[in-house]
Amino acid sequence: MLGIIIGISSVITITTLGGIMEKSVTDTYDALGTTLVQIGLHTKPDADRDYFEFSDFISSEMIEEFEKKFEGRVTSVSMSDSVGSGTVRVNRENLSVDIAGVSPGSINGSMTELVKGRYVTEKDMKAYRQVCIISEKQAAKLYGDENPIGKIFTFTYNNLSYDFTVVGVYKSSMSKLMSAMVDMTGQDWDTTIYIPVTTAQLMMYYGDMTSVGYFYYFTFMGNADESVSELAADAVEFFNTRYYRDNDAVEVMSYTAEQELSMFSNMIGIVSMVITIIAGISLLVGGIGVMNIMLVSVTERTREIGVRKALGATNGSIRMQFITESMIICLIGGIIGILLGLLLGNIVGMVIGITAPASVGAIVIAVTFSMAIGVFFGYYPANKAAKYDPIEALRYE
Amino acid sequence: MDEIKNKPAAGQPIRRPVIDMRGIFKAFYIGTPNQLEILHGISLAVFEGEFISVVGASGSGKSTLMNIIGVLDRPSAGEYYLDGVDISKIADKELSGIRNKKIGFVFQNFNLISRTNALKNVELPMLYGGMPKKQRDERAKQLLKMVEMEDRTNHLPNELSGGQKQRIAIARAMANDPSIILADEPTGALDSYTGRLVMDIFHKLNKEQGKTIVLITHNNELAEETDRILTMKDGNIISQKINPKRTMDDIYRMTGRDPADMKKGGEGK
Ligand SMILES: Nc1ncnc2c1ncn2[C@@H]1O[C@H](COP(=O)(O)OP(=O)(O)OP(=O)(O)O)[C@@H](O)[C@H]1O
Ligand SMILES: [Mg+2]
Repeated sequence: MLGIIIGISSVITITTLGGIMEKSVTDTYDALGTTLVQIGLHTKPDADRDYFEFSDFISSEMIEEFEKKFEGRVTSVSMSDSVGSGTVRVNRENLSVDIAGVSPGSINGSMTELVKGRYVTEKDMKAYRQVCIISEKQAAKLYGDENPIGKIFTFTYNNLSYDFTVVGVYKSSMSKLMSAMVDMTGQDWDTTIYIPVTTAQLMMYYGDMTSVGYFYYFTFMGNADESVSELAADAVEFFNTRYYRDNDAVEVMSYTAEQELSMFSNMIGIVSMVITIIAGISLLVGGIGVMNIMLVSVTERTREIGVRKALGATNGSIRMQFITESMIICLIGGIIGILLGLLLGNIVGMVIGITAPASVGAIVIAVTFSMAIGVFFGYYPANKAAKYDPIEALRYE
Repeated sequence: MDEIKNKPAAGQPIRRPVIDMRGIFKAFYIGTPNQLEILHGISLAVFEGEFISVVGASGSGKSTLMNIIGVLDRPSAGEYYLDGVDISKIADKELSGIRNKKIGFVFQNFNLISRTNALKNVELPMLYGGMPKKQRDERAKQLLKMVEMEDRTNHLPNELSGGQKQRIAIARAMANDPSIILADEPTGALDSYTGRLVMDIFHKLNKEQGKTIVLITHNNELAEETDRILTMKDGNIISQKINPKRTMDDIYRMTGRDPADMKKGGEGK
């Protein structure tokens, strides 16, 4: 019985969670866009060093060349660099902000959308403007109902105080699951502010302009008409033959959203499989338990079986009686399992912020399945009872 | 006693016995090569409407014989016609139907199903007979009334006295209106007063509904009340005593045969 409960509840839990995850994955996939490709540095397999040198970096000139070469195939390019975190003083309280340098194309395929003002522009980049795009939450906290556009956003970074002008407000369009996962890692993406990547790099390198415009990686969005993997391969080929052929240690590699998502789904798949195996084993153990209960019950009721046969019960009706009993035991186990599974699935769902609707299909399957277990494991004891010799059974003490 | 079944009275149309056994043997295999023969060629005829009793020492084979009569068991050898049907030609599967429709068992230890109430116990044979729920219910209540147990309809067996249990068991045996009631020491577990009550019910069923009753008992007084007493010893019927109160007409009516003819062999002298 316990086995049946555990088995069925795990099945229901996975299907509930599976539903949540699948939904989140497709949400994320849609948000990212399927054509998002990242080109990043990567050490060659036979490299004699395992770190990157400044000269290895992808320069903005290289990216410009790439854009020209791939015109029409690439719809937007994004260069970004994370500066680190700074602090903002709000009402005598120090709040931390993550400062992200971005380029005009970065809004595409990101998890954010602009709700007010504008995003980073080419001009911002060229002029190293101290402008920023802050989140809705930050705007509300700092400026209340006032229009945040044009306000001065003051923050401290590396013990230096910076005054940035707010030019836009964004809101996170991440799926709840993703933001929950980010929350769990201790990050809140809503603390991020976006500034021009050139300005960001200038801050990082203490004003050294010669260091600005070099990146570990950049991303671009492909034209939806074309296969992403092909485009990614071509891009890698372009960079590697043109810029990294003579580099002994480093080349570029591509990562597509597709790849990442398939990795994510694989992970879910593995987790589901493990739970399924556990469920399977529990169901097997539970089934054997039920069989044992039934065998004991049959033996205890040997005499009753004899009486029933004397009263005209056919072997078939005795068999049916015990199979039905076994089915009822399993069904009770199954129903408890379903309730437990739904509870568990929704508790987990609540933790990550999504409550999934109960999957009717899964419940129907679980009910049918527990009955099937009842029939399968009840058959042997029931058949044993059905085949009892009536006289032997009546004489049984 | 052989004459009972075999020799027709000259020129008389014979009414066929409901229980007609000829040379029945029963042996149990208690592991090869040992074979234990319990019944050694029993012949027995019981006519419709007869109330007979079987007496004999413990282990003489009474219950074994009864099980064969009730088609719970098959003889090792010999012929058995129940209501004119040759049992040896009936498949195991169909025996349950015969038990259900033609036989009503009453046991010494009542054998009620302990988890269900009186009404459900009485309904059980009707359930196996495929009777619809409403009819079952009605008939079960009627039967409980007949044994004066209508106010115990919803009681579980363990809430009842032995006599009450046995009355319910009799109601259950009557469920499908069988022609034969087989009672194996039905009063064995009861005191003489309740035993008397149960016995009265059998008499009533025999007289008023014409049921054929075979009663196994160790109580000679009760046996004396029946139409015929068969005595068993070591797997044989060694004597038969016809109730002197039975008129010749009674016997003639039942068997369609000259009673004088029966008496000759019947008393085993
Ligand atoms: N299944 C069996 N296997 C072996 N021997 C059996 C079996 N059933 C009955 N016997 C034997 O057959 C003999 C007759 O048994 P039976 O139960 O018919 O006696 P009985 O006359 O009903 O006795 P009692 O008055 O005590 O009920 C006994 O010796 C018993 O041990
Ligand atoms: Mg006996």
